[in-house]
Amino acid sequence: MTAITSRLRLSRVPRVRFSSGISAIIVKELRGRMRGRRAFIIITIHVLLLALIGWMLMRILEERSAGLSFGGQVNYASASIGRGIFIGLMLVQTLMVAVLAPAATAGAISSEREHQTLDLLAVTPISSIAIVLGKLVSALAWLFILILASIPVTALVFVFGGVAPDDMIRAYIVLFATVIGLGSVGIFFSTLTRRTGAATGLTFVATLALVVGSVFVWAYLSSTSESDSTGLRRQPPEALLYLNPFVAQMDVACGTEDGGFGGTCGIVTGIVGQQIVPDFPRPQPFPGQNVDPGFGVGGGGVVMPADNVTGEELVKIRAAGGVIGQDDDVTNAQVAITWRDRFWPKTVLAFLFLATVMTLASVQFVTPTRRWRPSLPGPVRRLFRRRSA
Amino acid sequence: MTAIVEARGLVKRYNGTIAVAGVDLSIPEGEIFGLVGPNGAGKTTMLRMLATLLAPTSGDAEVAGESVRRNPQAVRRVLGYMPDAFGVYDDMKVWEYLDFFGRCYGLGPAQRRRMIGDLLELVDLAGKRDAYVQSLSRGMQQRLCLAHALVHDPKVLLLDEPASGLDPRARVELRELLRELRAIGKTILISSHILPELEELCTSVAIVDHGRVLAAGTINEIGQKLRVGEVLRIRVLGDEAEVATARAWFEGREDVASASIDAGQIEIGFRGDETGAAALLAAAVRAKIRVASYSPAATDLQELFLQVTDRDTASQQTGVQA
Repeated sequence: MTAITSRLRLSRVPRVRFSSGISAIIVKELRGRMRGRRAFIIITIHVLLLALIGWMLMRILEERSAGLSFGGQVNYASASIGRGIFIGLMLVQTLMVAVLAPAATAGAISSEREHQTLDLLAVTPISSIAIVLGKLVSALAWLFILILASIPVTALVFVFGGVAPDDMIRAYIVLFATVIGLGSVGIFFSTLTRRTGAATGLTFVATLALVVGSVFVWAYLSSTSESDSTGLRRQPPEALLYLNPFVAQMDVACGTEDGGFGGTCGIVTGIVGQQIVPDFPRPQPFPGQNVDPGFGVGGGGVVMPADNVTGEELVKIRAAGGVIGQDDDVTNAQVAITWRDRFWPKTVLAFLFLATVMTLASVQFVTPTRRWRPSLPGPVRRLFRRRSA
Repeated sequence: MTAIVEARGLVKRYNGTIAVAGVDLSIPEGEIFGLVGPNGAGKTTMLRMLATLLAPTSGDAEVAGESVRRNPQAVRRVLGYMPDAFGVYDDMKVWEYLDFFGRCYGLGPAQRRRMIGDLLELVDLAGKRDAYVQSLSRGMQQRLCLAHALVHDPKVLLLDEPASGLDPRARVELRELLRELRAIGKTILISSHILPELEELCTSVAIVDHGRVLAAGTINEIGQKLRVGEVLRIRVLGDEAEVATARAWFEGREDVASASIDAGQIEIGFRGDETGAAALLAAAVRAKIRVASYSPAATDLQELFLQVTDRDTASQQTGVQA
């Protein structure tokens, strides 16, 4: 025994680097998450479920377009089926992520408290930020694997056409940003509360507020705001919906639509309003064509007769990010222009910003001897039952 | 001997209640120091402040010369802490548990490998290397938790109620382990309300109640310091009548405050010191009292503890600071 104990005298403990602190947490978390068959089974179910939904979407759209397509329009139908599956799959994945991200992160810190292991961690030289980031990164790594595993399923839409690879890249960027943002919200509530159940509940409430609440408030403001001189109602600020991943996915989907009418482009235009690209003379709307932005009215983009647009202008429109195409509502003589990427980049930035804020706040709550303590009113404090020690 | 743990005027206040009310402690290197006190005396709070888990409301403490307020990171590197209520991770093997904490302290792969082998052997868990942590018995988990506190070879170990929930055998093993750790130069600070435990193990103790240190030093020192009236327990041979006569004889002595019979033994409240006690014994023998055993009753921690905490309660009532 004494031989062992004398060997225990290690050299002086070195300063712990930030990176090694994070990697300690990540290794530990991933060992737990990836152990055994559980991870494998969850990923398999996730992918199979998506494939099933994709197949059902395909069948629905096929049957629908069968009644519409005559002869020469078959190619067009295939592209619209591809778009439909793509939009459907991305919305379903967004929904899944909105459920999985809180579930994966809400227990990160609170379960350490429940298992009484947070103290063991807090007395090591690991910094609080390394604890929070390590937890966040390992939870996100797990979610990223789920998302990456779904790419082959989503890529099946390329068989149908109508969706370009860069559309898919956009959609996945939004999805990853959604996971990062919502995951950080989960971590935040996990540090705030003592119980994983409470943290999960609060995270879901916050997610619902972002997804459903924001749309509700937006719709309320949109319908009750004052009208301006042209009779159009003033638009509520689009920033209200920046943290809504569904709107961002619809903006991505809008990029796949040819023409600016109806569908997701109509919704997005209803939110962001029409955009005028400087340097490009705003074309006059085609007489009689409704360009009123708003839900369901089919407005969006700019419509003008095809013969108004010169080849030079078309180049300008494309260079400015416009999409030129035809829409089945519009006669072939018209050109519809929709500006791409009007909304989703803001969503990505907003989610990354949210993640930064939430992470910094979490670090505050994890630090055991923090100087700054938020002073919540008594009833709220009791509600959270924050640790008294 | 230099003090490796030094607390000066440590105070912790939670929303109006005072958990620790100005504690001064000085623990020399190489000691096994016991913090004794009833539940809620502030032992855990003191340890948590030393472990940098709680910021003191006022006052400061130094561990190995580093302030827990100003340089908690440095304190954490020289300190091993085993909390009162500690948990174990699900889904983790024994070696992974130690490996994880090794990483937390920034040990390299080779260092970790050697450390895991050594520590598992030290705490006698070498055969459980690949077992899941949650499958271990309570005593094994306790030993593993102790091993986790040793991964970075700390100078000071803070053990909060390390023996709680252990069966007698596991307790003996723990005691052996702590002695061994002391032998390799660790300073160990233990809190406990199980007094006999500390009595056998500790080189010195501090009796704590209501967030204050009521007495500190070796057990003998405390005993002498506190002994206002010593209680002597005397067993006298003979029948009841003989014992009663002996009691009367003791009661008649000037330096005896009181004498009573308890379970066949005579208990006397004695006013003198040890020399006086020896003289009393000699006198009793001369008086033909057949004394079979004669011992001070207040040498064990238990009684000291009761005395001190009683006095503390009394002084609180009269408003006198102990």
